[in-house]
Amino acid sequence: MNNSLSSKLPATRREFLRMGGSGIGLLAFSRFAPAFLVQSSLNAAPAPEKDRSILVLIQLAGGNDGLNTVVPYEDANYYRLRPTLGLKKKDVLPINDLLGFHPSCAELSKLVTEGKLGIVQNVGYPNPNRSHFRSTEIWESASDSDVNDATGWIGRYLDNTCSGRPDSKGGDPVAVNAGNEVPQSFLGENPHPTFTLSGNLRRGGGRGNNTLSLLKRLAESDHEGSDTNEGFLRATMMDALVTEQRIQSLLGRYKSDSEYPGNPFAQSLKNVAALIAAGLSTRVYYVSLGSFDTHANQQGTHERLLTTLSEGMAAFQRDLDGKGLGPQVLTMTFSEFGRRPSENKSSGTDHGTAAPLFVMGSKIKGSVHGTSPKLDLPVNQDLTFSTDFRQVYATVLNRWLDCPNETILGKKFEMLNFI
Amino acid sequence: MQPPLTPTQAWEPLPKAQWNEETARHLLRRAGWTAHPEAVARAVNEGLAATLDRLFPETAPPFVRPKLVRNERERMPEFRERIQSAATEMQQREIRREQRDVSRLANTELSLQWLQQAATPAHSAFEKWLLFLGDVYVIGVEKVRGSNLIFDHYDILRQGALGPAPVLTKAVSRSVAMILYLDLQRSVKQAPNENFARELMELFTLGQGNYTENDIKQAAKAFTGYRIGRDGFRFDRRQHDDGPKTVFGKTGRFGGDDIIDLIYQQSAAGTFLPREMTRFYLTDEVPDAAYFAPLGTWWKARGYNLRELCHRYFSSSLFYHPVYRANYIKSPIHYHLGLVQDLEMDVAPVARTTLVPLRQMGQQPFNPPNVRGWVGGKLWINSSTLAARRLLVQSLFMPMPEDRMNADEKAALKAAREAGHTRFAVTDEFLRSLAGSGVDATVDRMVARFLPSEPNKEYHAALRSFLKGEPLLPRIRGATIALLETPEYQLC
Repeated sequence: MNNSLSSKLPATRREFLRMGGSGIGLLAFSRFAPAFLVQSSLNAAPAPEKDRSILVLIQLAGGNDGLNTVVPYEDANYYRLRPTLGLKKKDVLPINDLLGFHPSCAELSKLVTEGKLGIVQNVGYPNPNRSHFRSTEIWESASDSDVNDATGWIGRYLDNTCSGRPDSKGGDPVAVNAGNEVPQSFLGENPHPTFTLSGNLRRGGGRGNNTLSLLKRLAESDHEGSDTNEGFLRATMMDALVTEQRIQSLLGRYKSDSEYPGNPFAQSLKNVAALIAAGLSTRVYYVSLGSFDTHANQQGTHERLLTTLSEGMAAFQRDLDGKGLGPQVLTMTFSEFGRRPSENKSSGTDHGTAAPLFVMGSKIKGSVHGTSPKLDLPVNQDLTFSTDFRQVYATVLNRWLDCPNETILGKKFEMLNFI
Repeated sequence: MQPPLTPTQAWEPLPKAQWNEETARHLLRRAGWTAHPEAVARAVNEGLAATLDRLFPETAPPFVRPKLVRNERERMPEFRERIQSAATEMQQREIRREQRDVSRLANTELSLQWLQQAATPAHSAFEKWLLFLGDVYVIGVEKVRGSNLIFDHYDILRQGALGPAPVLTKAVSRSVAMILYLDLQRSVKQAPNENFARELMELFTLGQGNYTENDIKQAAKAFTGYRIGRDGFRFDRRQHDDGPKTVFGKTGRFGGDDIIDLIYQQSAAGTFLPREMTRFYLTDEVPDAAYFAPLGTWWKARGYNLRELCHRYFSSSLFYHPVYRANYIKSPIHYHLGLVQDLEMDVAPVARTTLVPLRQMGQQPFNPPNVRGWVGGKLWINSSTLAARRLLVQSLFMPMPEDRMNADEKAALKAAREAGHTRFAVTDEFLRSLAGSGVDATVDRMVARFLPSEPNKEYHAALRSFLKGEPLLPRIRGATIALLETPEYQLC
């Protein structure tokens, strides 16, 4: 990726590491990533600070069925395409005269009434790909569907923000994800100190402490560049050793202002709230909820998933509001694609294209953005998107993260009015 | 990174003169889990061809259906009857829950027994190959649930692992677990479900870009009528679309097997699996398909024989090129089984000490996160998975927590001991065997024994200063724990 990085590393690295005893050296190392020292040409965006806006991304993995989430309950075509899965007008929770929420989205419906939730309709991209992985890559990299980009849009945003600003953050990770994998969105040209939250943190790490200082010494011993797997392992380990202890104590002490459901998704959001409330300078959080791939027997599964989503998001927003953090946080959902308008014969729906997404926060403007998909389609035909997902990203980057979006997205996209 | 050799050089055999301890260690660590000094000596002595004959033999090692898995199968009629005769929905739900518990325990036993088999040095390379095939022809416990279905799917992979790939792919299309996993049984003539046809081409045989959306739609029709009966796969002629289909520009009244034959006429079929092997065994930076073309052409001419592919791949110049040393991140299963073998232990037959750490590190046997399988590489590593790796190492140096075990766990432990697996914690005897004459010799011995490359001077110095003094044994223990947690040991 960037073989040139190691050659640009300062010659003082060895001294840099030697200077500190294990404690100081460790802290120094945890902030010592080439990203902070290598001057990038892109450094216009402000570096993270504690009072800056925060973005929370919620991935709905597997492809959420948009038409049964935000239901066009006055459209006869909807009921033609969905003879059994279609949600009846009397059951949906009206958003306006044409659209209503799936009955499991009561909490989201309330948030719309309070002006804290926006819906962006019919979001997609040209030449849609129906592979889960490829389409997820497209969303995470924000690239055209015929371009393979290994970096992610958040990663490029971090490349942009962090260059040349090694001292601004007190060792906080710049991005945090709850889950088992670092999302592609986070990958930049340069490595960034990101942190993964998971259940593992609950386990006490008391054992083997006498070997910890030896491990620090072994892992610290000087090596070339961090673009190799070895350098990556080393940097991740040093960061993890430091950050782990801090975050563990923050989560343990947290008192939320709302009741969160017990499921892992809501608990992840609670942990995110804890870190935001603790004043970490982290700008981006990423939480994932699966599995929306409802090829068969969709009804019950989709009900459960939307209940989890709706209740979790609402608890999170109420918690933030209770702590006076509402104005600082924007939450946004996305899914790799929507599903086919025609239901299949397995009481499910196959991979489709465009779908609505949600934006949530106390500063959201308006309830419905963009235009609804046209459903006068022959059977098994897909929707044609009307809002490009990168218009949403552009809006978030420009108006929320205060970052020039064209550098991140590679071209100009018309912005939306939800912020 | 540019591949170090030209496409024609790459697949030439390793020159005989280069078969030595270093290349043997590379083969054993990459094709299996570890390079024990005795195994290295034997491989060098026997030569590469004979070693590969041993690692990838003509027939797969047998793997017996575990007891709890058989139990699940035997109790199936009973559960079916009880659910049918249940008076209320509530009771039905209760019985289903009970049935799920039976399956869950059976799946646990299946995972543990497979791990033990994979940790047995004689079978390591084959079982790793099976893990690879399971990472291509993916199914997941969470959706499939029944332990017999999982066992049967992996038995299909096991029986076909060393034969022609088209035969294996056809067998997989009839695997009940696969049919369930990709909803093939719900695909009907009037509305073919595209899930299986898509993954067949994208993830099992050809890869993105080597087929069109229309190929998938048409192929999906050919796989209609694949059903699950009481005794396994069943073909339902009434649900099969017998009409003409056009796939890869050819038109005919194709059935599922015909589609698979058409797939293997595509040149991409020759390069797809070798590229997947490269990602799984060699490097995260896989050269493009064109680089594999000479190998693909040869493999197609050999009828896509998988055993021949293994032999050719693991004796190729590319595989042994020095740029591929000590820079591949071990998967959690590799890390775990590598520790078990390096520390001369057995797999503890207890979920809490064996499967829970694997889950925390991000890899549960038979349960990839989705149909793409495990992505691997850097994605294995983040702050929490690294914490889990460290906790695993530390736990192997502790005695089994037998006083806190439940009756089932104690019984499993007893059964394992009776079967000759007794080494569930690192012994003092083993640690003593690492001690050399003096601190320097001990450090050298530890490094040579565990690490895939020579670490730098500071690393040596840190170990030396930790080991100095008395008593020696706790120091060797501490140094070994720390060494096994370092980035150097996470690589192979």
